[in-house]
Amino acid sequence: MSGRGKVVRMRPRAAEARPDASAHEAERLRRRVLELEDSLRRQGPLFALARLLGAGKRGLSWENLARLWSAMYFSWHSEETDAFGYDRKFTEAVMPIFEFLYTVWWRVEAAGVEAVPASGPGLIVANHSGVLPYDGLMIRLAVRHEHPARRETRLLALDMFALLPFLAPLLQRTGAVRASQENGERLLREGELVGVFPEGVKGVGKPFKHRYQLARFGRGGFVRLALRTGAPLVPCAVVGAEEIHPNLATANWIGRPLGLPYLPVTPTFPALGPLGFVPLPTKWTIDFAEPVDVAGYGPEGADDPILVNRLSEQVRGTIQRMLDGRLARRRSIWFG
Amino acid sequence: MRLALTGAGSFLGSRLLPRLAEARGADGVVAIDVGPPPAAAPVRFRRVDLTEPASDQRLLDAFRDEEVDTVVHLAFFTSPRKDATYAHELESIGSLNVFAAAAAAGVRHVVLRSWTAVYGARGENPNYLTEDMPLRPAAGLAWMREKLEAEQHAAAFARRYPDMAVTVLRMAALFGPGVRTFYTRIFDRRVLPVVMGYDPLVQLLHPEDALGALEAALARPEGGAFNVVPRWPIPLLSALHLAEKVPLPVAHPVAYAGADLLWAAGVGQAPGGFVDYVRFPFVADGAKARRALGFTARHSSRDALCAYLAYRHPGPAGDRAEPAAVQTIEAGA
Repeated sequence: MSGRGKVVRMRPRAAEARPDASAHEAERLRRRVLELEDSLRRQGPLFALARLLGAGKRGLSWENLARLWSAMYFSWHSEETDAFGYDRKFTEAVMPIFEFLYTVWWRVEAAGVEAVPASGPGLIVANHSGVLPYDGLMIRLAVRHEHPARRETRLLALDMFALLPFLAPLLQRTGAVRASQENGERLLREGELVGVFPEGVKGVGKPFKHRYQLARFGRGGFVRLALRTGAPLVPCAVVGAEEIHPNLATANWIGRPLGLPYLPVTPTFPALGPLGFVPLPTKWTIDFAEPVDVAGYGPEGADDPILVNRLSEQVRGTIQRMLDGRLARRRSIWFG
Repeated sequence: MRLALTGAGSFLGSRLLPRLAEARGADGVVAIDVGPPPAAAPVRFRRVDLTEPASDQRLLDAFRDEEVDTVVHLAFFTSPRKDATYAHELESIGSLNVFAAAAAAGVRHVVLRSWTAVYGARGENPNYLTEDMPLRPAAGLAWMREKLEAEQHAAAFARRYPDMAVTVLRMAALFGPGVRTFYTRIFDRRVLPVVMGYDPLVQLLHPEDALGALEAALARPEGGAFNVVPRWPIPLLSALHLAEKVPLPVAHPVAYAGADLLWAAGVGQAPGGFVDYVRFPFVADGAKARRALGFTARHSSRDALCAYLAYRHPGPAGDRAEPAAVQTIEAGA
């Protein structure tokens, strides 16, 4: 915008006419003042000050610094998002990182992905673990890469992640949505594939000794969601994620004042500082079970707490059985 | 039977007047404000100051003399003001007077202009707020508290006078040609403070759509609250990117204190309570207006922003701001 003003100013100087130097200098000053006045009026005093300070230095001007800064700041945005803020361009840009984790780091093996409906709404229900929500991303990649329909899964993110500064906009850009009945219902009604973790905070903050023992499934909100929209429930069991950040203890006396529901203590965090964020390279398997069709109960079933709890327990039992089966066959945490 | 328009000199009022005059004839419209309407709209005019103690009686006289059966109430401030007492008199008490006079005069339909910001911006808001969500505007923002009180008066009168339909139009922030609010004054700066680590979706409503919604509401006098929102929201940072701004990230505790300090010093455009609205989402769902009023916004937030940029920076800079072909998925379309 204001860069144009600068270009206009530089050009006449380059084609400077020799004879009338003083008149030219006066003209140049007059232009400089006008330009400053204009930028003060249009862009506020901060920017006018920046221009004043940076005037004359060829490359390293405040204008260029401001442009560079904006470019850096906005580089990870594209201008187009969907109604929930999902930015496909940004997601494709960061996908290689997750694909590396999927193929090389955790060597994910997905079984039974065909159970996920190829079109229309669907609700993937999975166990939650691993301190940070990597498991959701890996489920998403499994459906994206192994399912014939190449569907995208919209993850419903826990409040603790969806409200965290810096992480919240990242999740939004990559297509996750804050977990709530309204958001879930809206996504399912649009025929999206939605991933939920009914264990919630109890799952991700699970102590290491309780690994692969499913925590209580909330209050069956995911079942009510499925009943209201007629979306099939697809139970999904993730093995391997519970060992990536072994949660030895929680230091809630530090975490709570910082606004976190818990602060994990793992063998590497916080002892090794930022290295503590590197997840352990365990071997993962993701199993999908046959979908539970709830359309037969009709939307009014959502108001029947007994039915909701029965379906919730049925899904929980299926996931626990899949987990137990995998664990019984697993010989090594690292190699499967 | 005539239509009365309070706040006829406001941004929306002065643009709605010629349209109403065309639809109902200049004699069918009564402009009510502290100053006469522009000569371009030769409608009837009544001078009433809503902040005067006896304004309800004067309004009642005006409604009875002019045989008014429909009232459009637009007399609100579009920007936060330092003189909170005056704003309270005009917005909260003024609305009370308008409703009282309308009820006493047997008016059939009142349309109240409101803001989607009355829902309050919160991290735990659902991505799309429906009309039945509780109204909890930011605590430190008197500007929105007055709007909430106006809505409460509207709800109370709708209950007490079932024969009088009260339509509340909760509009998203206006952005477009001719709009001059504190939003646009903040937005006109090149360097813009942003809350570090947050990037909420925002809705920017094109004035054309706001006028379209007012007309749609007048066509169906059924009453109730409706969100009037653009076709798509836009992430705040994408909006700044589009407008080629220089973002200045500020940690949120600093942002609240800084905004309050600048506001107290008379430099800032809005008090600290406003920081909530650039930190958290308050995106509203326009499905009810689509269903009940048959109103669908024609512009997206991006269109509204581009129209504003083209209006502010005409010439070559405007070309850049032409809306590109956008491939976007619409929620609940």
